[in-house]
Amino acid sequence: MTTNDAETYEAGDVTLRKVREYVWEVPKEGDMRVPARVLASETLLDQIADDKTLEQLRNSTHLPGVRKYNLCMPDGHQGYGFPVGGVAGIDAEEGCISPGAVGYDINCGVRMMKTNLSYDDVQGREEELVDALFANIPSGLGGGGVVEGDIDTVEAILDRGMEWALEEGWAVEEDLAHCEDEGVRHDSDPAKVSQKAKDRGKNQIGSLGSGNHFLEVQRVTDTYLDVVADAYGLEEDQIVVLIHCGSRGLGHQVCTDYLRDVEKAHAGLLSQLPDKELAAAPAGSQLAEDYYDAMCASINFAWVNRQLIMHRTRQVFEKVFGSDWESLGMDLLYDVAHNIAKKETHTVGVGPEGRPAGGGKAADTEERELYVHRKGATRAFPAGHPEVPGAYLDMGQPIIIPGSMGAGSYVLRGGEESMAETFGSTAHGAGRTMSRTQAKKDYWGGDVQDELEQEHIYVKAQSGATVAEEAPGVYKDVDEVVRVSDALGIGDKVARTYPVCNIKG
Amino acid sequence: MSFELRDHTADVAVEATGPTLSAAFAAAADGLAAAMCDEIPDSGERFDLEVRAESREALLFDYLDELIYQRDVRGVLPVDNEVEIREGASDDGDRARGSEWVATGSARGVPLAGLGAREVKAVTYSEMALEETDDGWRAYVVFDV
Repeated sequence: MTTNDAETYEAGDVTLRKVREYVWEVPKEGDMRVPARVLASETLLDQIADDKTLEQLRNSTHLPGVRKYNLCMPDGHQGYGFPVGGVAGIDAEEGCISPGAVGYDINCGVRMMKTNLSYDDVQGREEELVDALFANIPSGLGGGGVVEGDIDTVEAILDRGMEWALEEGWAVEEDLAHCEDEGVRHDSDPAKVSQKAKDRGKNQIGSLGSGNHFLEVQRVTDTYLDVVADAYGLEEDQIVVLIHCGSRGLGHQVCTDYLRDVEKAHAGLLSQLPDKELAAAPAGSQLAEDYYDAMCASINFAWVNRQLIMHRTRQVFEKVFGSDWESLGMDLLYDVAHNIAKKETHTVGVGPEGRPAGGGKAADTEERELYVHRKGATRAFPAGHPEVPGAYLDMGQPIIIPGSMGAGSYVLRGGEESMAETFGSTAHGAGRTMSRTQAKKDYWGGDVQDELEQEHIYVKAQSGATVAEEAPGVYKDVDEVVRVSDALGIGDKVARTYPVCNIKG
Repeated sequence: MSFELRDHTADVAVEATGPTLSAAFAAAADGLAAAMCDEIPDSGERFDLEVRAESREALLFDYLDELIYQRDVRGVLPVDNEVEIREGASDDGDRARGSEWVATGSARGVPLAGLGAREVKAVTYSEMALEETDDGWRAYVVFDV
């Protein structure tokens, strides 16, 4: 794992070629269908090369129909099958869709809600606020949900996403206007989601879960692109709330169910893949259609999950600050998905025989519909892209990059280069660098909480072990991740935030 | 039978061993419980489960998935796992489908309320191993956290 000269990077049996600053290419060899690219500084590359990320990235290029190159974002790390931080644009006619390459937590994502409170308004009341949030927002394992639903409720959510929340009074129209896809995937089909998945979901509607999921009250410490920050309604010292969670047991079960179905129905394709977790349904097959519809339904479920938590947060702030949420300016900035596949149109190369081609030797280019798999990566569409909601069409889509509970987070905007370079994608967070088992040896939850309190960060969790596993030291440097995204022009820095209160499972 | 939690950058891996295939399965299930909770109390009622799959490895996946499913719908952490693994004819009698693998077992369900357990989201096939060794059987499973 050394750099032998300026142009290549040796990582075990993989040699990466430097394409330009922060862009490293793993050449196409063996059964790889396209090359792979890692977007990283050398510091980040040292961490990426330290586990099985590169092996998993190379394996992902064996999927049929991959176009151009598969990518690893600057925060990438080892996952299961497909790396976390992985992006692949796979042809929606000639390729495939892979449940494992989307991940178990379908539409795990983040949303940021603004307030018109300043840090001064909150200082001295952090403990009251963190206690009220922790008492009112379901978290952890078996903590229930904001809504006690039945199967009909689950099916309505799967079908209509945030439109259901609007009908039921959990959302206002403005919330939908500030969400990726306006909070509903119309391709959803609740009938394609198993009873088992619905049974798991019905007790968890509006819940954080545990692991790396959290709700954090933050203060804006810096703004960078002031025109964009103004348009987003962000300014220094402002209090904002970040919510990170996904589709809970429902989404986990959907991925599990389809992974097993695909394994059984498409064993021939699976036998060509180096990792069983990459099991994929060929484009056009019944399972590809069914999985896509079930995944879209799970995406709807996750949006409602975050919406209900946001609704409950508004109620907590109303109580703590004695004013209604509208007066507190608690408007949704944006909601972005981290683990998804979406049919999107991208420009890819066309080979000499008129067939879509990977690599850089295409005779020409054409628009193709792709299943863009993003696992631990965020969509980053620039200003003017037709799929950016009207509210942000002139500025580019907001991107929310959560850091650890000791380091703060960023708001970016979709960069001009993202469509050409990354299938319209950028990083999704800081990215882990230490295992959970090691973290529990190195840290004790109580000490981590005490040290954070010295920094005026108030943390409350269902489990001390979760605090240790999520200690700031287990994450990569979020500043470095964002610096690379900004320098590459795929996601531009707009604002930085710093934690005030954090609750987790 | 025994298990160890192994390092993985983002997730948790369980390495389980046992003198028999059944013992290795039960140890992997106890490893799953340990990945979610450090100190397991004595409370809870036992419940039964049965899982069928087309191969040994698929059965390990489905057995552990069933425990995660039961956790969410029953609101309990399945611990003290006992299981018998056998190979049998498909219950629909269709000989052309060949044999299938069956897990018949039980677990003690510790109520999740107040337990402070962390969520394991799912079983994965990534790096999964299930192999016969000189001493019996060894299973290696990465769980998504």
